[in-house]
Amino acid sequence: MSSSTQRSKGGRWAVLLLTAPFFVLFAAVVIAPLGYALWLSLFSEQSSGLGFGGTESVFTGLGNYLTTLADQAFRDGFAIVALYAALYIPLMLGGALALALLLDSGIAILRRFFQLALFMPHVVPGVIAGLIWLYLYLPGISPIVSALRDGGIEWDFLGDHVLGSVVNVAVWEWIGYNMIIFFAALQAIPREVLEAATMDGAGPIRVALRVKLPLIRGAVITALLFTVIGSLQLFNEPMVMDGVSNGIVSTWTPNMYSYAEAFGKNDIGQAAAASVLLAVLAAVLSYFVTKWGNKK
Amino acid sequence: MKRKHIAGVAGLVAVATLLAGCGSGDSGAGEGGKTAAGPEQIVFWGWAKGTKEVVDAFNTSHTDIQVKFEEIPSGNAGGYAKFSNAVKAGNAPDLMSVEYPQVPDFVTQGALQDITAETADVKSKYPAGVFQLVELGGKTWSLPLDAAPQVFIYRKDLFEKNKIDVPKTWDDFRAAAEKVKKADSEARIGSFFPDDPNLLATFAWQAGGRWFNSDGGAWKVSIDDEPTKKVAAYWEDLIKEDLVKVQPTLSQEWIASLAKDQVWGYLGANWSAGMIKSNNAPQSGKWTVAPAPNWGTPASGMFGGTTFAVSKGSKHVKAAVEAAKWFTGSPESWKARLGSGTSSAFPAIADLVPVASQSFDTAFYGGQDIYQVFRESYDTIQPGWTWGPSMVQVLTSFKDKLGQVSTGATTVPDILTQVQAETVNEIKGRGLSVAS
Repeated sequence: MSSSTQRSKGGRWAVLLLTAPFFVLFAAVVIAPLGYALWLSLFSEQSSGLGFGGTESVFTGLGNYLTTLADQAFRDGFAIVALYAALYIPLMLGGALALALLLDSGIAILRRFFQLALFMPHVVPGVIAGLIWLYLYLPGISPIVSALRDGGIEWDFLGDHVLGSVVNVAVWEWIGYNMIIFFAALQAIPREVLEAATMDGAGPIRVALRVKLPLIRGAVITALLFTVIGSLQLFNEPMVMDGVSNGIVSTWTPNMYSYAEAFGKNDIGQAAAASVLLAVLAAVLSYFVTKWGNKK
Repeated sequence: MKRKHIAGVAGLVAVATLLAGCGSGDSGAGEGGKTAAGPEQIVFWGWAKGTKEVVDAFNTSHTDIQVKFEEIPSGNAGGYAKFSNAVKAGNAPDLMSVEYPQVPDFVTQGALQDITAETADVKSKYPAGVFQLVELGGKTWSLPLDAAPQVFIYRKDLFEKNKIDVPKTWDDFRAAAEKVKKADSEARIGSFFPDDPNLLATFAWQAGGRWFNSDGGAWKVSIDDEPTKKVAAYWEDLIKEDLVKVQPTLSQEWIASLAKDQVWGYLGANWSAGMIKSNNAPQSGKWTVAPAPNWGTPASGMFGGTTFAVSKGSKHVKAAVEAAKWFTGSPESWKARLGSGTSSAFPAIADLVPVASQSFDTAFYGGQDIYQVFRESYDTIQPGWTWGPSMVQVLTSFKDKLGQVSTGATTVPDILTQVQAETVNEIKGRGLSVAS
């Protein structure tokens, strides 16, 4: 009796000791910055008169939140992100799934090569991806634009159609990565299950849709969760294109809005408020995606 | 075993690099300083062409002060944000390059040091119209380096070949634009840069507009005044009639169209001469500089121009001002700056213009005395212009909207009204007084 209590006591210490590094880091790099952002979001830099006397920090309570929510530019950012997600998520995840199923089906040739080739773009950092594609979008430099023009098609990649252009870059970057995740999950399905389905007369398409897909549901939900949050945080690619694109404004996505407030207008308080609002929305969305994924 | 060893070493190297990265972050006001006997070191941030040559010349000719030059991205490309944050973080450079429009921004942020006393002896060297741009609330905040009179730089060979006269007025400019398009359907007389609203401000300034006024203790904002409306309508027409190319400023796209003879001119300022020269070496001898078109009588605004400001909290105010005085006011500095061949800056201190003129190699412009053109334009800079306290916001507001003009979603005159409203909002939001 006494020895078992002792053992569990020792176990508790071990647990504490082993998890401590995580909690210390978690507190330092997640909790503390979040708390600091919350604190900053309650203040505003104010001047008086002509302003030549500098600024002072004034407590404004929820003032920054109200200003941010009332700002049309901030709300427009969410509309853009929603459109982006509506286009990007089905295209990218659907494409990744289709590719993974093809690779897994055994009818694909050069499997290793395609795995590598499709994954390669993911190795390229988002900013560089934006730059690479920018050169393919820019009139006067891009061979694609001039080829289209020679064919009588005027397609303004950086104007009216810029959303599609951004989606394209993101799909290029992420489709291979998600395909690898799905492919790994597919490979983990016990072969006897698939054999049994085939024995029962299911064709390859039916096996893919009715057997394989439900079995990798967990992987798909996880990928969906990451993709939803990633969409909400859209920043790198449009930021790189902002400089030369007529279709992108400095507050195009909520993240860009925070950036513009902080480093364009020097309004750290409002930038913090916008960031907190974005974080809350990401948390709420994650909750619903996870809940929806776990039902059944 | 061996592999493990290598991994360990790599890890160590990575950690060392990280630490080094952290270490270099606090270069700035803290690092420089007077060691027992050595020279006083100041840190200077800038990006203008020829700056490195100037700093080298300063350091070889001075034993008491040494300048450590750190090249940063140009102001609007991130340099200003970097500076604001550095001041907040307490590791700002002692001396910072600030263009005229942003001086009031930084003063209202409390990022600059009052240098009225330290600069009193050189104030009289400057024309009042220029010095007034760095004086706010009766104090001097920055030391002007150059003035930026407007000019029109164009392809003399193509204009002559197609018998097109150099436009003297804006009406002429439109007529010439039509002729250029007629001569070559792919070519245009010049460009409209939706991402460079500074140019629009310059045109408004030239036309007699006054976007800001701080007389009477409150800011008066009039971005949509009559002269600016006239300018906006003029450009709206040029864009709608497809008489100018709409492209990002200083972009690969723009440079490519210069190289392909598709853009025959550039409405810019004196410094553009150095820029076009360094980007288009093969077109040497084909370009010429002319005064900018005007509305009937010769007039100019200012497009750009740099000043040097001392950051708040600097421990080397005196030394920083000394360096700034040398950068702006010594012939040696101007020789070094222009001798680099890429800068065609125009000294704000008029006495130095002959030095500048001799130092810039004008072979690219067929030996033309381009400083004479700058000088004439400089003499017609319209007095009384003031920049506002939120120019970063004003320029961003413009930039966000001007992009939509070419798609027809909005017009330049409409944008004036919107930016006016947003600017008043922004200034009020900061607690500043706004006169209606």
